[in-house]
Amino acid sequence: MIRVATFDELDPKLVKDLCKILYQAFAVGAEHAGVVTPPSGMNEPWDAHRLIKEAPKVSAFQDDKILYVTSRKLLPRKLATGEVPTFGMSQYNGQRAVVSFAHIKNPNENVKQVARYALQELGHAWGLHHCLDPRCAMYPHWTPSYPNGDASFCVFCRETSEQKIRLAKS
Amino acid sequence: MAETTAPPAAPPPPNIKLAVGDRVVYPNQGLCKVTGIDTKEVAGQKLTMVSLLREEDGAKVMVPEAKVGAIGVRKVSSGAEVEKVLDFVRSDSDKASLDWKARARTNVERMATGGLLGLAEVVKGLQVLSELRPLPTKERELYNDARHLLVAEISASLNILECDAEDTVDALLFPVGKERPKRTAEEFRALAGGDDDELGLDGDLMGGGLEDEGGEEEPQEPAEGGEEAAEGEEGEEKKPAAKKEKKPKVSREAATQPQEPLKKSVISDVDVTLPQASPIITEPIKRKRGRPPKPKPEGPPPEPKKRGRPPKPKPEGPPPEPKKRGRPPKVAK
Repeated sequence: MIRVATFDELDPKLVKDLCKILYQAFAVGAEHAGVVTPPSGMNEPWDAHRLIKEAPKVSAFQDDKILYVTSRKLLPRKLATGEVPTFGMSQYNGQRAVVSFAHIKNPNENVKQVARYALQELGHAWGLHHCLDPRCAMYPHWTPSYPNGDASFCVFCRETSEQKIRLAKS
Repeated sequence: MAETTAPPAAPPPPNIKLAVGDRVVYPNQGLCKVTGIDTKEVAGQKLTMVSLLREEDGAKVMVPEAKVGAIGVRKVSSGAEVEKVLDFVRSDSDKASLDWKARARTNVERMATGGLLGLAEVVKGLQVLSELRPLPTKERELYNDARHLLVAEISASLNILECDAEDTVDALLFPVGKERPKRTAEEFRALAGGDDDELGLDGDLMGGGLEDEGGEEEPQEPAEGGEEAAEGEEGEEKKPAAKKEKKPKVSREAATQPQEPLKKSVISDVDVTLPQASPIITEPIKRKRGRPPKPKPEGPPPEPKKRGRPPKPKPEGPPPEPKKRGRPPKVAK
């Protein structure tokens, strides 16, 4: 099950459509778990590391995934090889993932674009790595062509995610 | 990288001293934690066994202490080693071999014994190859496994989250704000020293890969192999066994020449022996694909056949009276 928690009051249609796309992609139920308050003392752009660690708990089973959605900007991460933009973050093989759609214009009309970013973070939460196929949602999201793609996986990533979900359920 | 000769056998790595609580890397398995070192009696022999716990899923492995080095168990790479690996990933030097057999062999070897740099070489090599053409399924899996092990070890070494470790590598492989470059076969050819024909490029490009490993023992027919490599598309097509025994077609000119020492040339992943002066090598014959056209018959074209059942011959004489239908009239007694 995917629990979608939001840090802001979002358009219910946006959340509903997002849940629908997530359900289609993972073949796992997705539902809105309500609005949660962000950790105290956070200034925009938010630190994704802190957000993922300190986000309030959402009731979920052990094999459930929790996706926190926000319309706020996330702080770019400084890595050993340079700075990368952060549109989301995830605990690999963990339970929590966070995604931001601050960089997307008219998110209510571009639900698929929001869902593409969400798919990537949830994919990481299920243990998927970045993909080589530019059409796949697991392709690195900082490439210019990424937002234009569909909210779906390539065959390899879809099969891998199905396998991981099956293993998690058993 | 075109691997034509097998690398010299490396000396067995020295055994490492392990203690309970150490984090080690088990080749092809990933990060493990040493949970115990005990002496056990196995088949009458007393062996010191090292118990390892795979961090990813908690699987337990027991290894004889004497074989730890030979198996390839090693300590987690240091920060300096990770820096070297990132420098390697940053460089534009490594191109995977286009010979899929050599590539598969090298990659498996790198995964098992190559350490962190070996993993990076597999990832980088297949990544560059994917910029030329999509990877076959088996290699895609290998790429994923190598990437998984690489990310896990970098994460453990630099003590960062796995998502940050993956983005650290991918910031080099997929530069921020840029699309991946498209590679051309010429780049790979140049790497092999310009021996275009020896790469078996055309055959390899047509979906050759690890899936076709079953065809390893099926050499292609010798003479037509060269032609097919020139044609491009038929390079990896498997021919029926009967066709393989065909004698090579050599032109009369070449046949009359004295036999020269045979030269080995590699065409589409298999060694083929051909005469040196063979016209197949010097200038490939361009053949049209498919069945040759039927020779046109001489003379006027025959009349087109009428379709359907031929008409019945008409009987001679007067036509028979039509049979009366119904019950015959009663005869009065």
